[in-house]
Amino acid sequence: MPELGLRIANLRCRVAGNEILKGIDLTVEPGRVHGLMGPNGSGKSTLALSLTGHPQYEVTGGATLDGEDLFALSPDKRARAGLFLSFQYPASIPGVKVANFLHAARQAERPGDLPPAKFRALLLEKMEQLGIDPSFMGRYLNDGFSGGEKKRLEMLQLAVLAPKYAIMDETDSGLDIDALKDVGRSIAALRESDEGRNTGFLIITHYPRILQYVVPDIVHVMIDGRIVMTGGHDLANRIEREGYDKIRDDKHRTGAVV
Amino acid sequence: MSSALGSRAGSHDLYRRLDAFDRSQFGLEQRYRALDRFFALPSGREKPGRFWRVDFETIAPPAAQIEPGAGTASITSRDPAAVVCDLATAAREHPQLLARAFDTSGIAATKFGALARAFTGLGFFAYVPADHACDEPIEIRYDSPARAAIFPWTVVLADRGARVTVVERVRGGPGAFVCGATEVVSAEHADVTYAAVQQADADARIISSRAARPGRDSRMAWSVAELGGELSAGDLHVAIEEPGADARIAALFFPRHAQHVDLVSTVEHRAPEATSETLVKSAARERGQARFLGNIRIAPHAQGSDARLRDDALLLSPLAHVDSVPALEIGANDVKAYHGATVGAIDAEQIFYMESRGIETSAAERMIALAFFEPAIECFPSPELRDEIRAAVAEKLT
Repeated sequence: MPELGLRIANLRCRVAGNEILKGIDLTVEPGRVHGLMGPNGSGKSTLALSLTGHPQYEVTGGATLDGEDLFALSPDKRARAGLFLSFQYPASIPGVKVANFLHAARQAERPGDLPPAKFRALLLEKMEQLGIDPSFMGRYLNDGFSGGEKKRLEMLQLAVLAPKYAIMDETDSGLDIDALKDVGRSIAALRESDEGRNTGFLIITHYPRILQYVVPDIVHVMIDGRIVMTGGHDLANRIEREGYDKIRDDKHRTGAVV
Repeated sequence: MSSALGSRAGSHDLYRRLDAFDRSQFGLEQRYRALDRFFALPSGREKPGRFWRVDFETIAPPAAQIEPGAGTASITSRDPAAVVCDLATAAREHPQLLARAFDTSGIAATKFGALARAFTGLGFFAYVPADHACDEPIEIRYDSPARAAIFPWTVVLADRGARVTVVERVRGGPGAFVCGATEVVSAEHADVTYAAVQQADADARIISSRAARPGRDSRMAWSVAELGGELSAGDLHVAIEEPGADARIAALFFPRHAQHVDLVSTVEHRAPEATSETLVKSAARERGQARFLGNIRIAPHAQGSDARLRDDALLLSPLAHVDSVPALEIGANDVKAYHGATVGAIDAEQIFYMESRGIETSAAERMIALAFFEPAIECFPSPELRDEIRAAVAEKLT
């Protein structure tokens, strides 16, 4: 029986020669919601992209997904193993239609599970849940999309792919309250569905606001490439009150649980 | 490709071949003069160099390949209101209509247009009368058998307020030589789309000269896909001589292995208040080579012109090469002119994004490259034709 969870052990990552991640240990268990907070430049997005397999990141240490060695897999195989990243800055690909892309992704991750008509129905249902206009399907992937539209499309992909583990990289940035509520509802809907009941979430954010709509079981704080504090939902509230400076000052309490 | 090239030494043979062509039509004297021009005129195209291996000045069809009546051709129209016939019939039965367009574009004054004029015989004429809209496209096919030379000449005349779409498909067998010309002339408020898809055999040579003269406040679109041939050389020309015309050029090409593509597009704004848009998408793989020269010329009196040129090239292999040269000559001061060009490999971030959704690298590259052509493919007039082009491009990506 493999050890379940997205398990990260002593992960270090260099980007263009600079060490950004300085030894991360973190486990996201199935069905749990983890918040990962930290100031700009602390390495949160680097963690997300290094787990996903960004080609320019040099990574050492280990990461397993339900026992499978992630770093032995190419990015597409990591996705097929059940890892999903909601990108902070998703690429735009003019000429690739949203519907075709989503179908290709679903086919890659769950080959042959849905005939095209059923897939279309699923897509329409998820789009309605997210308040996305059906005309989205015929648009080119992220091409000319507003910031909010890009985030909604990432959420739609999350809903359609129903991964085992989802990393949400600053999904809240640039969203208004209504859009944020849609994100919260969409994650809740996935967690209530058969496909997504056991999905583990790592929600990366810079502001605690999103964590009011998706209540985390555990909150981690990352500063300067290290996790400096882990706690319950209260930790997010404390950051809202005190900011990151106080925690930076208390850095000697690395790993302390409040 | 030197083995397939003709030379000046063999030019007498080409003159001798003229005797085999019909003397009563298209003028034997004009044929001789056209062949003189073919030998005398420079091609105006790139000389062979470090990347470019084609010498246009020495290209000529082997005389032995030239036979009157060579090649198969067909034209299909279900519209009884349109005049649709082969060139010889048009010359006999509709001489006045034909004269409004045939040999009026200046094509025969260019090197390869002159070659096509010298051996004119194969070809079609389509005329759409005033205020008539052809609901279905007129379909034309030209097919050269292996090691034959054909010189198809197509003439389209759209009268005032007429609307028509013409779809031309060119194929050529191994070693074929196709040197064709197309002339489109329209009157005011006409709307003409001419789409051409070339899928000749990998060692055929295809040279095409295409010229349009749109009428006042008319719309004219060239959509061209050059997909086959060892050499594909194209000249796409629009001469805007009446105000208010709207001209569109969309072209795509994709040389791979030892294929060469050389495309020149020219939009001449010689009348005010006209718009033009040129869109070119190309990719190259293996040792595929291509050149694109996009000319926009705005004459001093062509005030209020709006001309756009967009050209993107995708390099899919380290040895693939695409040269892209936009050339704007603007003589008027109250105009809008835009050009943008890119040449590069597929964006690594795009591939990573698709991979992060479980899509394999090779499939991601295919999807992105196909998508890259999509804005040009969408300029083609029917869903079936667009799918045909998508399939041909996808085939080149495997």
